[in-house]
Amino acid sequence: MNEILTLMTPRLLSFKNKKGDNLSRLFVFGVIGVIFWGGLFAVSLRLLSYFQSIEELGNILAWKLLSMMLVIYFSLLVFSSILTALSKLFLSKDLLLVHTMPVSSYKIFCARWIESAVDSSWTIIIFTLPVLISYGIIYSAGPFFYAMIIMVLILLSLIASIISAVLVMVTVIIIPPGRIKSIFVFLGLLLFLLLYLAFRVIRPERLVDPEAFGNFLSYLKVLETPSAPYLPSTWAFDAIQASLTNVSPTLFLNLFLLAACAGAMVFISLIIADAIYMKGVSKSQTARKTLRKAKVTKNPRILSFLPTHVQAYVIKEIKTFFRDPTQWSQIFLILALIIIYIYNFKVLPLERAPIKTVYLQNILAFLNIGLASFVLTAVTGRFAYPAVSLEGEAFWIVSSSPIRLKTFLWIKYFIYFVPLLVLTEGLIIATNILLAVSPFMMWLSIITILFIVPSVVALGIGLGAAYPDFNAENAAQAITSFGGLIFMMLAAVYITAVIVLEAGPVYRIFMSGIYDQSIPVSWWVWIIGSFSLAALISIFTVIFSMKYGARHLTKSSHRIT
Amino acid sequence: MPINEHFEENFNAGLSSAIVFKQPDKLNDCRSSPKFKPIYFEDNNSPENIMIETKNLTKRYGSLLAVDRLNLFVPKGTIFGFIGPNGAGKTTTIKMLAGLIEPDSGTVLLRDMDISREPEKAKQQIGFIPDRPYLYEKLTGLEFLKFTADLYGVKESVFLDKAENMLEKFSLIDWKNELIEAYSHGMKQRLIMAAAILHDPKIIIVDEPMIGLDPAGIKMVKHMFRELADSGVTFFISTHTLSIAQDLCDKIGIIQKGKLIAIGTLDDLKIQAQASSGDLEDVFLKLTREESLSPGYPDIGGVSP
Repeated sequence: MNEILTLMTPRLLSFKNKKGDNLSRLFVFGVIGVIFWGGLFAVSLRLLSYFQSIEELGNILAWKLLSMMLVIYFSLLVFSSILTALSKLFLSKDLLLVHTMPVSSYKIFCARWIESAVDSSWTIIIFTLPVLISYGIIYSAGPFFYAMIIMVLILLSLIASIISAVLVMVTVIIIPPGRIKSIFVFLGLLLFLLLYLAFRVIRPERLVDPEAFGNFLSYLKVLETPSAPYLPSTWAFDAIQASLTNVSPTLFLNLFLLAACAGAMVFISLIIADAIYMKGVSKSQTARKTLRKAKVTKNPRILSFLPTHVQAYVIKEIKTFFRDPTQWSQIFLILALIIIYIYNFKVLPLERAPIKTVYLQNILAFLNIGLASFVLTAVTGRFAYPAVSLEGEAFWIVSSSPIRLKTFLWIKYFIYFVPLLVLTEGLIIATNILLAVSPFMMWLSIITILFIVPSVVALGIGLGAAYPDFNAENAAQAITSFGGLIFMMLAAVYITAVIVLEAGPVYRIFMSGIYDQSIPVSWWVWIIGSFSLAALISIFTVIFSMKYGARHLTKSSHRIT
Repeated sequence: MPINEHFEENFNAGLSSAIVFKQPDKLNDCRSSPKFKPIYFEDNNSPENIMIETKNLTKRYGSLLAVDRLNLFVPKGTIFGFIGPNGAGKTTTIKMLAGLIEPDSGTVLLRDMDISREPEKAKQQIGFIPDRPYLYEKLTGLEFLKFTADLYGVKESVFLDKAENMLEKFSLIDWKNELIEAYSHGMKQRLIMAAAILHDPKIIIVDEPMIGLDPAGIKMVKHMFRELADSGVTFFISTHTLSIAQDLCDKIGIIQKGKLIAIGTLDDLKIQAQASSGDLEDVFLKLTREESLSPGYPDIGGVSP
């Protein structure tokens, strides 16, 4: 046991030594976390209170929600633990050092597994608690309930992480670890895409249609059927339900099942680790890397109008993007988002709405500018924000090259600006066609997006440069960092500002069009003023973000190179 | 000439500030010796021949003074070795020379261009070889060369011949179309060297040149560096490997705790260390030990008696 604790001390000491740094970041994250936690708690409490007000149906809905939440909790944990366990057990940079030490491999496994379990589950546990506490309050549970839910969540997390660790250990024997990561990322995205598409195909908007209510009741009947009895999430559900309804034997039986399963699995995993972990580590060191053939030809003609150093970066960026499966596989996610987005507009029952159709169509088109901009923010956050960090430890090549960092940033900017502009304009035009909006609204959407895209991309590139993480193992994680959070918040504030500035004038112009009224001069001044201010904010955002990014990148490049 | 005046004269001429002459008599004896060629007495030290020059170069990391008022210059075609104990300030100096970090004060002139004022022009003259070969793993070797060639403005018409020639020289020709992620550490190091030389730089700055290279690779690199130096390329090499500095370098500077404590040819250093015999290792250990034992380091214009 001492050896396992010793193996974990570097991590604990690093955490302790890091604690003093960036208190402001910790504070911002803390405040946002508390707000989110509180929001989740308030929504859960409100929802459960509402369920309670529905006779008979209320309890069924509450239990179904709990059961679904626990299944999702368990599956999320298994999936996230697979990625963490893979990194901790086979891909960490310090592994070689650790394995040269005179410690049994199963002890190393155990230390790594504990780290992995903590890393992959602490946030999920914290943000599941407000929902479960709401259940406790609504069902007037005693203090034992609150202690019990923490125990249940910890046991579930242990089981999920041990399943993942064993799965990873066994798989590494068959497939090299470098590939597994890509495969799991890909599978995860595919799973997400399928679930999302399945959800959309169910068309939940039909549920508000009274004619479909008969189906809804029969659907609820299906919901009442019991979950798989062998799943740990079912034991967790049964334990929590029993605790809330005071059925002690069921509670203790399920708690015992969870604890026994966790204990047995830890024991079995240690035996497996003793037998195969070292073999997997050895295999991961000797696994042959993928060799791919590629030919260098002249730079493509399509880029010939650009200076050669710009061509160099564009070609490098495109090649590295498409050769990294963890990068390009995310395109599936974007495609899914776009399909769902456009599909949502296609199925809108506008003709049955009580409001005048022309009015509704144009209101939706205007709101659509905001929605498409938020999609743009998400895509920018995933691809453009990590663009600078993706240079990784090869950033010295940029620093030592005869190209200004400012130029380098602008090159990055345009590499992402062009496809994101095409994507967002494509989205807005396609949805506006589906909505059959007026020409005024179509042009307004196109021009507004023409201003929003440069600003949001500049925010992404600029803040990504100001808060680079050249050691990030996974680019997707960059957006969850402090800088990523600032980017998301600023982009939301900027988009809201533009939409709010345009809303009044657009409404006025639109209503004047409908009622065939002329617009007084004073209103024109106000309209032009609002649009100009929105344009000015956009231009300022581009200039300021890029300057801020270049200045901070210059400073940080001196620290990191 | 009193030693202080002698030093002052050299310093005012923009020469090394921290040369420590222990015995004036010996110095005078040496001047008459044909072997003694202090860097500042050479014929090629005319201003137009000076390729690298640092003036009062200083860098701090918080309270740690990493490089302290460094003054030196390297003439054209010279292989200058920069040695010192761990944490002495070698890599910081190299990074300031390559424009990777900015000095707190002082200047770096590369062919008379201030790297802080004209970074792009100055960097165009440099080939930089870092100690750790981090590259774009998803490019092939040839693609990486094309990338650097485009950055440094190598003409497309000559690129392929030059690149293949380089890859041939560095024994990477069979790997030119493989992704860099499949390369070994030594192969990556060789690829970085090929990329650094591809645009015909006038100055090559190298941090630990031989790390990861096999004996054949080391021999080939030494030979190539010498050939390039003979054709007028100037090298600034930081290394821990004293045998390489001894075999390869025309001039050697020793840095300790951020200060340049000695500079010159191996023979000059032997004199400064009062070591009539022995190799660079003995000289290095003697000089660095003496300096670390002395109560204070000589300041600009100051000379230890």
